[in-house]
Amino acid sequence: MEKLKKILSKVLKIDENSITEKTSPDTVDTWDSFNSLMLVSELENEFGVKFTIDEVVKIKNVGDIIEVLRKYKINI
Amino acid sequence: MKIKIAILSSSTINGIKEVLSAKCKEIGITSEILMGGYNQYNQEILDDNSKLYDFKPNLVILFIDTKSLLGDVFFNYYQLSEEEKNILFESHTKQIKLLADKVSRNLNCKVVLHNLEVPINSPLGIIDNKQKLGLIEFVKNINHEINKHYKENEKVFIFDYDLFCSKHGKENILDYKMYYLGDIKINFKYLPNLCEEYISYIKPLLLLTKKCIVLDLDNTMWGGVVGEDGLEGIKLGPTPEGRPYLEFQKHILSLFNRGIILAVNSKNNPEDALSVFRNHPHMILKENHFASIKINWNDKISNMKAIAKEINIGLDSIVFFDDDKLNREMIKTALPEVMVVDMPEDPSLYSKTLTGLNEFNSFNFSEEDRKKGQMYADQRKRQNFKETTKDITEYLKALNMVVTLEKANSFNIPRIAQLTQKTNQYTMTARRYFEEDIKRFSALADYLIFSAKVEDKFGDNGITGATIIKKSKKAWSVDTFLLSCRVMGRGVEEAMLARIIEEAQKEKVLTLIGEFIPTEKNIPAKDFYKKSGFKLIENKKNLKKWEFSVNKGYQYPKFIKIEKNGKTKKNIIQSS
Repeated sequence: MEKLKKILSKVLKIDENSITEKTSPDTVDTWDSFNSLMLVSELENEFGVKFTIDEVVKIKNVGDIIEVLRKYKINI
Repeated sequence: MKIKIAILSSSTINGIKEVLSAKCKEIGITSEILMGGYNQYNQEILDDNSKLYDFKPNLVILFIDTKSLLGDVFFNYYQLSEEEKNILFESHTKQIKLLADKVSRNLNCKVVLHNLEVPINSPLGIIDNKQKLGLIEFVKNINHEINKHYKENEKVFIFDYDLFCSKHGKENILDYKMYYLGDIKINFKYLPNLCEEYISYIKPLLLLTKKCIVLDLDNTMWGGVVGEDGLEGIKLGPTPEGRPYLEFQKHILSLFNRGIILAVNSKNNPEDALSVFRNHPHMILKENHFASIKINWNDKISNMKAIAKEINIGLDSIVFFDDDKLNREMIKTALPEVMVVDMPEDPSLYSKTLTGLNEFNSFNFSEEDRKKGQMYADQRKRQNFKETTKDITEYLKALNMVVTLEKANSFNIPRIAQLTQKTNQYTMTARRYFEEDIKRFSALADYLIFSAKVEDKFGDNGITGATIIKKSKKAWSVDTFLLSCRVMGRGVEEAMLARIIEEAQKEKVLTLIGEFIPTEKNIPAKDFYKKSGFKLIENKKNLKKWEFSVNKGYQYPKFIKIEKNGKTKKNIIQSS
């Protein structure tokens, strides 16, 4: 979770401590459509994976990100 | 230093602003960047009241991508008739030209116009190029046409985006997922590379380009240490371990031939090192390519300062190559203005490092620019000669100088404008003019403009002086009078003044007014009018006016042979 929080806080410019599984574009102003893409790009680079377009579209909050990463055997 | 950049594009280019402004910051530039709206470039350019024109940028980047431009034609190109293809070709090229032309006309800026990425696939596959106008050829032709259209344009510069994509691999540039998610046509990973390409235009725009390469010798110009390995032992030549150095030198020579000044800064025994220049069969660079050669046991910092002083350039114009990390750190710390290249450990990467630099760009390239490296190298010989002659008069006589004074014409106008932009020391007024200004003046009857080309026994200095005179019936006024510092103090200024006075006498003008506007740097020019017999008639802090009675006449320096528009003065006198 530490690594994920770091990435989220870097891309969205928010406090790491404020991040929970419920954090989503609805709760964070800076989480706009472009930053979603930046986030995908950063996550892919950091964890060395490539998401499919369906996986990306399904992400609605931090919990969803954790779930997708789990599919790639990355446990947060 | 500040710059205002507008980036207009046909697809999503978020992220460029952040990366570009960070890159600007790295080289000490504060940037203000206006990002155009998503696919709004047409409206933004065509609407005179758009925020683009309000913003008044110094640089406009226009990034139109192939897919956005072609739309469905990208897919159904071969559904079009030959005539439709031709009409489409005409309309696309016309539209792109119209946009770039309008921006360049309405704004005082440079325009960086992307060309189109040539597609890597065609529905016709291997026989695409057998068609009358294949899809790939269609895109290439648009690029070709636009390139041709702007060849002579001084404001619009084509950025070869297709080449950029090829360099990084077209398959890598487009990340399909990101493209479908957000119409992103360039993978985020390559934004720094793209912005670095933009920096190549920003540097010459803000005059941040480099003029001189300073080289170490052992393990930089050749492999090994000549003092230990001997002339035969060093690696240089057509062998696997000698070729990296050989090619590195060839690349350096090609930069010299485009006008980059070269110098050596080496801790070495001068006899050993010079013998490589003189006797090694595969040495590409010779002593006569270098404007300054410092081979000694002094520290590299004092050598570097001495080089800058000898060539008379700023430390901030220098790029330094040295394989030794310690030396590089030393220069970086002591002389932070010098750009120190991080040379790779492996000499086979030297050429790649050198050719990857974007430090030597300029927006124009005159004959003088091409010869600059040679001119500075000649200057070193001149200096050596000066040190061996007894007095200055003898030296000047022995130089066998020929000064060609030539009225403004299409060949020297670009150089005259460039001199007004660049000359800081020997300039009376430091008035800066663009090529368009000089062209306009030269077409008017009440202006006299000429350039001075200086040659001597050591070589051609090129056009190194210029003057602009405003004529009126009563008096002529010297608006601009300047000399490149390379030829200062050699009588060229007297020759130019003599020519002005000669012309004034011909037209029966009584008075010549010389203006002097003091700047921080033009001290060398301060006393010229006084020394030449002018009388001070106005003495304001920011403007001094000197007056000369034309009837008094003024002598050409005896030791200079004067040529006018190709004919020598002597010839003219004889024939008249």
